[in-house]
Amino acid sequence: MNQDKIKPDAIIPQASLIKTLLFILPMMFLTFAILTKGKLPSDPKSLFAIVITYLFINAIFFMLLYTGKTDRFRAIFFITYAVLFVVSFITHLIEIRGSMAVSQANMLQGETPFCHIVIPMTLIPLAFTRTIIFPGTIIGSFASIASMFVLWIGVTLALGRGFCSWGCFFGGLDDGFSRILKRPVIKNINFNWTYLPYAVLIAVVLTAAISLSPTYCAWLCPYKTVTEFVEVTSFKILMQTIIFVSLFIGLVIVLPILTRRRIQCGLFCPFGAFQSFTNRINVFEVRIDKEKCVKCKRCIQVCPTFSLSEEVWEKGKTRISCTKCGKCIDSCPKKAIFFHLKGTPLSGNQRIYRILFLYPAFLFLATIAGGTIQDGIVKIIRLITTGSMFIH
Amino acid sequence: MNKLKSILGYTWAFIAFFIVLATFFGNERFSKVLASVTGMKVSPWYTGGDVISVIDHGTYRTLIHRPVFDALIGEKREGFIQINWEPSTGIPQVIEEKIDYDKDRKEDLLIILDTSTGKATLTAYSPSIVSIERIYRLKNGWAVRIVLRKPS
Repeated sequence: MNQDKIKPDAIIPQASLIKTLLFILPMMFLTFAILTKGKLPSDPKSLFAIVITYLFINAIFFMLLYTGKTDRFRAIFFITYAVLFVVSFITHLIEIRGSMAVSQANMLQGETPFCHIVIPMTLIPLAFTRTIIFPGTIIGSFASIASMFVLWIGVTLALGRGFCSWGCFFGGLDDGFSRILKRPVIKNINFNWTYLPYAVLIAVVLTAAISLSPTYCAWLCPYKTVTEFVEVTSFKILMQTIIFVSLFIGLVIVLPILTRRRIQCGLFCPFGAFQSFTNRINVFEVRIDKEKCVKCKRCIQVCPTFSLSEEVWEKGKTRISCTKCGKCIDSCPKKAIFFHLKGTPLSGNQRIYRILFLYPAFLFLATIAGGTIQDGIVKIIRLITTGSMFIH
Repeated sequence: MNKLKSILGYTWAFIAFFIVLATFFGNERFSKVLASVTGMKVSPWYTGGDVISVIDHGTYRTLIHRPVFDALIGEKREGFIQINWEPSTGIPQVIEEKIDYDKDRKEDLLIILDTSTGKATLTAYSPSIVSIERIYRLKNGWAVRIVLRKPS
């Protein structure tokens, strides 16, 4: 078949059925162990949710391997995860606290779940005062501080900034909105905007260190709109609320729709900027074979986080902000972009590189998302069968 | 050298899979280790700081936390002191208590908290006492934060 006539988004099996099934067997075993924790639930709703989640996860992994398309199937999983995370998280909060709003008393009692975005802001105060500037609990509660730190250390060692496309429970929201239109309305975005997340990072890290409070969470985090927010009891909190809701509408919904890019992740998120530096020490990277490349620039146009440009093309690799989503790889008509392992030859087996990346990346996503998807399904079934998502 | 780099690349990629497994399956254990190795605690600006004295009133107790002035380096000029009363079942409708938080045998403040309305009044006997910052109704009782200012 003439490769030039094949559309880059066409799905063509890249591996034999038997080989693919052999490759997904370990994932099937691991996801079964992770979802069931060695025991099947007796409640029919939970059992049904586990079966659906298990089939969904393994169907996605099968398609990733069988078709050779990464982003197309990753995105289905990632967006589903983000949507069901919102469903699961909000219902959980309402069940335990009665509201999405976190009161001052909740904060005093350490009842605020810790989120990875806070991590960069906590490091300087932790080094100087050995305290965490967040109203959560260190260990033993839902999303405790130490457990989120362990997750962050693990994912940093394993995937670097790959976390932003294979683990972040918020990223799927703007990823989802960025796929609504077929063509972008706003095409030309000045590359200088890509420095904004680093400026936001420096600003929030310094202000958090000076004030000993997580300033990004208080003033800027758009995701509070769909998770939890401080109860409005003063004019200052009202202003904060107006700011973060506006940022959610602008950065997570409107601009991703208009640009077909992940604007919040690529141009604003301070955690993303911070995590970019971990790409330097991570083994997985995305490389460009300049000899195969026909300079169609499709990869530059589709990169959701502005990690490809003509300047970096010269270097044959993506910028440090690459989230390893695989969208550029899927879009390349010449297979000139590929996952690669640092230290290994560029001429090595690209399929092996890809599988070595996909296994930890997909396992991370499956593990962090599995329970959430399952819980979200249970809540939706409860809504359908009883008219309410909550346990009364 | 290239061969060694290549071997290291493959090895790290292979190990990444096990790091992910360990991150989830060992999360509870690693969390405890991390908390104990770093000695991390939640900032006293959120918890109220360590309890430095407990006064037993029979049916309920008064917990006086240490004054919090903590800054990144040194101390801030303005801070607070937190006083808790617990358990909620033993607390009278109106709590009226004189507090000597710095243990100099002189009372620093008088607080009157009406638990039926959640309102409190403060009488300062010390120049460090500024005002009531906030009153909290907790799961197991009540707490009040009082703004303190360091004498200049």
